[in-house]
Amino acid sequence: MTKLKSVRIITKKNLKDFVRNLIKDKKYETIGVKEKGIKFAYGPLEKADELRLDYDITLLPPKKYFLPQIEKLIEYNLEKKFEYRKEEKIKPRILIGVHPYDIIALEQTDKLYLDSQEDDYYKKKRENTIIIGSDIEKVNERSFAASMNTHVTDSGFDLLLTNIDEDYAVTIGSKKGEYLLSKHAKTKPAKESDIKKIKEKRKKIKSKYTKKLKVPKEDWSKVLVANYDHPLWENRSQKCMECSSCTMVCPTCFCYDVIDDVSLDLKDGNRVRTWDGCLIRDFTKVASGEVFRDDISKRFRHRFYRKGNYLPERYGFVACVGCGRCGIACLPDIADPCDVMNYLSHFEKSDDTDRFFIKQKSDVKEKGTIHIPRSATIKRTEQYTKYEMLFEIELDDKKPLGHIPGQFVEVSIFGVGEAPISVSSGPSDKSTFEIVIRKVGNVTNRLFKMKPGDKLGIRGPFGKGFDVKSFEKKHLLLSAGGIGIVPMRSLIQYVVNEKNRKKYKDITILYGTKQPSEVLFSEEIKEWCKVDNVKCELTVDTCADKDCWTGCTGLITTLYPKIKLDRYDSINTIAVVIGPPIMYRYVIKCLETLGIPHKNIYVSLERRMKCGVGKCGHCQINGVYVCKEGPVFNYEDIKDLPEAFE
Amino acid sequence: MSKNVDINVHHVTRVEGHGNIVLDFKKGKIKKLEWQISEAPRFFEAMLRGRKHDELRSITSRICGICSIGHSLASLKATEDALNVEISEQTNLLRRLAINGENMQSHILHVGYLAFPDLLKLGSVFPLANSKNKDALLKVVKLHRLANFMSDLVCGRTTHPIRLIIGGFTMIPTKKQLLELKKELKSGLETTKELAQFIKNKTDGFPDFKRETEYIGLSSKKEYAFYDGDINSTDTGIFKDYKNYDKIINEYFVPQSTALHAKHSRESYMVGALARFNLNSKQLSNAGKEVADLFNLKAINYNPFMNNIAQLAEYAHNIENSLELIDRLFDNKLKDEKPSDFKIKEGRGVGICEVPRGMLIHDYTLNSKGRCTKANCVIPTNQNHANIQKDMEKLVPEIIDNPKKDIELNLEMLVRAYDPCISCSTHYLDVKFV
Amino acid sequence: MKPKVAFFDFSSCEGCQLQIANLEEEILDLIEIVDVVSFREVMKEHSDEYDIAVVEGSIMRPMDEHRLRKIRSRCKTLIALGACATIGGVNKIRNQWPVEEVKKEVYNDADLKDNKFFNVNQTKALNEVVPVDYYIHGCPINRDEFKRVITSLALGKEPVIPNYPVCVECKKNENVCLFELGKFCLGPITRAGCGAICPSNGSACDGCRGILSKPDVECVMDLLKRYDLTYEEMKSRCVIYNTGVFNPKDGMTFVRRRKK
Repeated sequence: MTKLKSVRIITKKNLKDFVRNLIKDKKYETIGVKEKGIKFAYGPLEKADELRLDYDITLLPPKKYFLPQIEKLIEYNLEKKFEYRKEEKIKPRILIGVHPYDIIALEQTDKLYLDSQEDDYYKKKRENTIIIGSDIEKVNERSFAASMNTHVTDSGFDLLLTNIDEDYAVTIGSKKGEYLLSKHAKTKPAKESDIKKIKEKRKKIKSKYTKKLKVPKEDWSKVLVANYDHPLWENRSQKCMECSSCTMVCPTCFCYDVIDDVSLDLKDGNRVRTWDGCLIRDFTKVASGEVFRDDISKRFRHRFYRKGNYLPERYGFVACVGCGRCGIACLPDIADPCDVMNYLSHFEKSDDTDRFFIKQKSDVKEKGTIHIPRSATIKRTEQYTKYEMLFEIELDDKKPLGHIPGQFVEVSIFGVGEAPISVSSGPSDKSTFEIVIRKVGNVTNRLFKMKPGDKLGIRGPFGKGFDVKSFEKKHLLLSAGGIGIVPMRSLIQYVVNEKNRKKYKDITILYGTKQPSEVLFSEEIKEWCKVDNVKCELTVDTCADKDCWTGCTGLITTLYPKIKLDRYDSINTIAVVIGPPIMYRYVIKCLETLGIPHKNIYVSLERRMKCGVGKCGHCQINGVYVCKEGPVFNYEDIKDLPEAFE
Repeated sequence: MSKNVDINVHHVTRVEGHGNIVLDFKKGKIKKLEWQISEAPRFFEAMLRGRKHDELRSITSRICGICSIGHSLASLKATEDALNVEISEQTNLLRRLAINGENMQSHILHVGYLAFPDLLKLGSVFPLANSKNKDALLKVVKLHRLANFMSDLVCGRTTHPIRLIIGGFTMIPTKKQLLELKKELKSGLETTKELAQFIKNKTDGFPDFKRETEYIGLSSKKEYAFYDGDINSTDTGIFKDYKNYDKIINEYFVPQSTALHAKHSRESYMVGALARFNLNSKQLSNAGKEVADLFNLKAINYNPFMNNIAQLAEYAHNIENSLELIDRLFDNKLKDEKPSDFKIKEGRGVGICEVPRGMLIHDYTLNSKGRCTKANCVIPTNQNHANIQKDMEKLVPEIIDNPKKDIELNLEMLVRAYDPCISCSTHYLDVKFV
Repeated sequence: MKPKVAFFDFSSCEGCQLQIANLEEEILDLIEIVDVVSFREVMKEHSDEYDIAVVEGSIMRPMDEHRLRKIRSRCKTLIALGACATIGGVNKIRNQWPVEEVKKEVYNDADLKDNKFFNVNQTKALNEVVPVDYYIHGCPINRDEFKRVITSLALGKEPVIPNYPVCVECKKNENVCLFELGKFCLGPITRAGCGAICPSNGSACDGCRGILSKPDVECVMDLLKRYDLTYEEMKSRCVIYNTGVFNPKDGMTFVRRRKK
């Protein structure tokens, strides 16, 4: 409701003077909507005449001022062991001409970036920016903001300008805006008739929208969950150029990649983040080279579900403001959500809107600065195989990591990059923790060359670990395939520890590798088996004659028939499975045969995890962030997620 | 004079492209003395075969990485000549700014990186980085950066420019950018004079060699010619019939070279900075004249080694000329103009420019659809190969008594003085496509 | 131990090597982290012992193939520098016609038999003669990309070259799409990494960094139809840098695997 006392009137001439004064005010950088060729774009204003409040839409939304295309996160000095600098100063700025849909988009971005793990770079920029919005004067033919009710807004701005023909009405939205207005502008109070004019103008603009939605945004979730396998996705995506223009120009898209750049003399460098897009094939590529969501139809579909179902389920808003930019930018014209939703509106709906989502809180406790790693020192290394090595690490503040089994950390090496690595030791009061890495990518290759005394950065711990409390009083059947034994070890160490052993019943550990040479922790496994009621069964897929192997041969699935569980025991057994993707399908069948219900089964999944805090977008499995709701999942929750076990 | 000298310099260093020097001197006689071009022919004419009128510029730009702006401008002039396209004064000024930038870039690259090390008896410019003469290297780098900055600004990119199109530009610099350029140019002028002084003081200069030669280049009444002008020869004077340039430039095949040789009124002639200086020295700007005077360079100078000094003088001239051009652009008020309109028609066009190494000619014939049916490019370095050969033939007897290493060095320095662009020069004339 | 780097060039305009000279002061940084043992264009010294060979230019003649094979045998890492080396570039335009036809037109009846300088074959990119380890695309190369590749190798990292189209960078630059200005830009099918420099300067992309996928896949054909362009027109534009794309024999590796 536009109240009388929060509205002022300014003549067109005085508005120009106001803008001129803002430009002259050296305290701020004044930015506004200007002409750019045949289009419009936000840019620094040098003259008040450059401001074009009569624009229809800008090429890029104002998100470039809060999440820049390229943003320096850390400057590091590679000549020192661990030295970095963070960008601190932001010059305050004023954005003039922000349309309501873009204001609403920024508020949506706030929900994501200013959550319990807030992004302090984004926060600083938001705090240092004054938003002078402007009611829409011209409607772009691709925009459907009226159908989304984003063509007007009552909040999210410091000032809002409305063209009421002879003058402009200025709605005051905050104290900052009020102060700015009183300092630099000549205004007079608004009359009842002015308020009426504002309402009329907004109604008139609504009528100018030619593009209309046939299904209201509240129903998008229902339409989408019912049509996941619709041939529309395959058909439309055939035309997709995989250019991700749709995500680049979108005000509610904010996925990013993080890259470490180094100067030519190798003395220093920057860790930067840059816009990334889920339509790009390498978006989900992990160090081992695997690409999840490889097919273009899946990537194409993903964007619509993220906007229309996944984010709505998580935050309560549809992550689309109907601005129309993607429709304008998409060369084959397949990206327009209005077209897609209108087409799907002819088909079924379903109320099962949380089908692709898990409501689960992560175990991350601290706020802290999410981008800055804490410095840590390598205390001990032990090479197990040609490709696997253990590191014992101590944070330089000597505090314990404070992790839960199943969580992971982001290991950071300035100049090289970051890699998500599971913590391999159980939680303890010790100031050190252990990780075991396999040499596959840049960071792990560099780690392999490091020695005790060398420093690295640690972010985290992140993610959802094993709910060890709910495991109490139950049997534990722990199945590890290949490198899956590494995260499993953190759980095993915890449950076999004499402080905790009594809480759990029988513990059975099944561990399978390809060859005897790949078995890890063999000595430690012997120690585990010495603990009360702990049994370990090892198997290898194949065994060359020369190898000295006295254990079983055969796939891990051959071990399950040996397990005897009666009906009572099976429903009181917790099964944990960690291994390569292909393993899950087969092992879970074995567990079913043993009578273990799905809700008793836990898995740990891997995806490309960059930020670790649910912002960069790379680790998504449908609507679920592996870094927040995982990597440990309850199988019952995740079994129906189409992207979980593809 | 009875010694034997056997020199075979395979792939001369610090020149663009691949050339060999072969000398076989036995029993007092030159058995074999050849300047060989072994560069693979690149068949540029084949590349232009059947291409559209608006593609010719970007393809011919790829003839040379160093003179890509020069090739682009000669190409555009030829196309515009064929299609009767007029360009605005603003476009003319900006193109002259572009050609200045390229001349500066090429000359400082040559004098600073390629020729300079010889004067200091070094293999390359890199050792300077850790010597007491590091300052000189930094000056060279600064001047190189200035030239690149200017070309980047006007053309979008120095190597293989982007903004140059038929009839104009896709984009022009802003007033703010040109003001910044002015500031940099003024500072660069001081640095140029300092570098010239350093070369004069700290080095022994170039060998004293002289061979009477014909010099050919463009001349114009208005200014020291680069972008526009008439063909001029120190022997025969101004030649206005530009479309019949082959009356001046006679190219012929030699077996030791994948590039042609050229002649006019003598067995060979020279093009390039020294040629331009010899023809137009009176029109050099004050700073250009200052640099020339510092080294006692006066027209007509028959020492090919002085080509390096002529380049340095031109660099200083280019800076002052550019400052004038920018002022004229401001006087005319910078506007965002659309490139000139034109109709596609049949025709033949010839475009001639002075690029860093000399006179460059592009000659296109377009059919009624605007497609190229015939193309010809006369490359400056091509025109110099014969002169290099003749110079070598005079120089060798003069230095034959020196140690072999010195003869080799002098022959290489001679080649380098011409600043040859060998990969551009290897392709052929006069090709007809159907 | 600083890795030893040597620069070579074959049939090219040398513009890509010039970009390295254009690193200005940073060239001094370059020679700090690597040992430049051979760079014919700017230095006299030469050595036959090197770890990394950076090669510009295309291969035209048997004598060039021979020289390239020697270089390959001497180095551990071979980097192809620039479009002529990575995909053939403008040097491949003449591959549209048989060599004999081109030779006859250009040299007429000159007697070139047994003259090894003129023994020319169809143009080849480097990877059609020897295995190549890294590609630095572009005509000319992007200096920043060169720096990134060299520093990555110096740090033991795998250099990352974009596998997505120029449009990504063009949109980040907030350019007005050239299709909207009636131009035919090859950006949607060309590999990014140049910062979309040509569209940012108002000129349509010509594909100098290499086409990402087979040119006749459905998404491309549909785009052509939508903008009233023909396959022939696209082919003609692509020929300038990507002639190899249309010749199934040439060794082009595509990034996008799509149905035809």
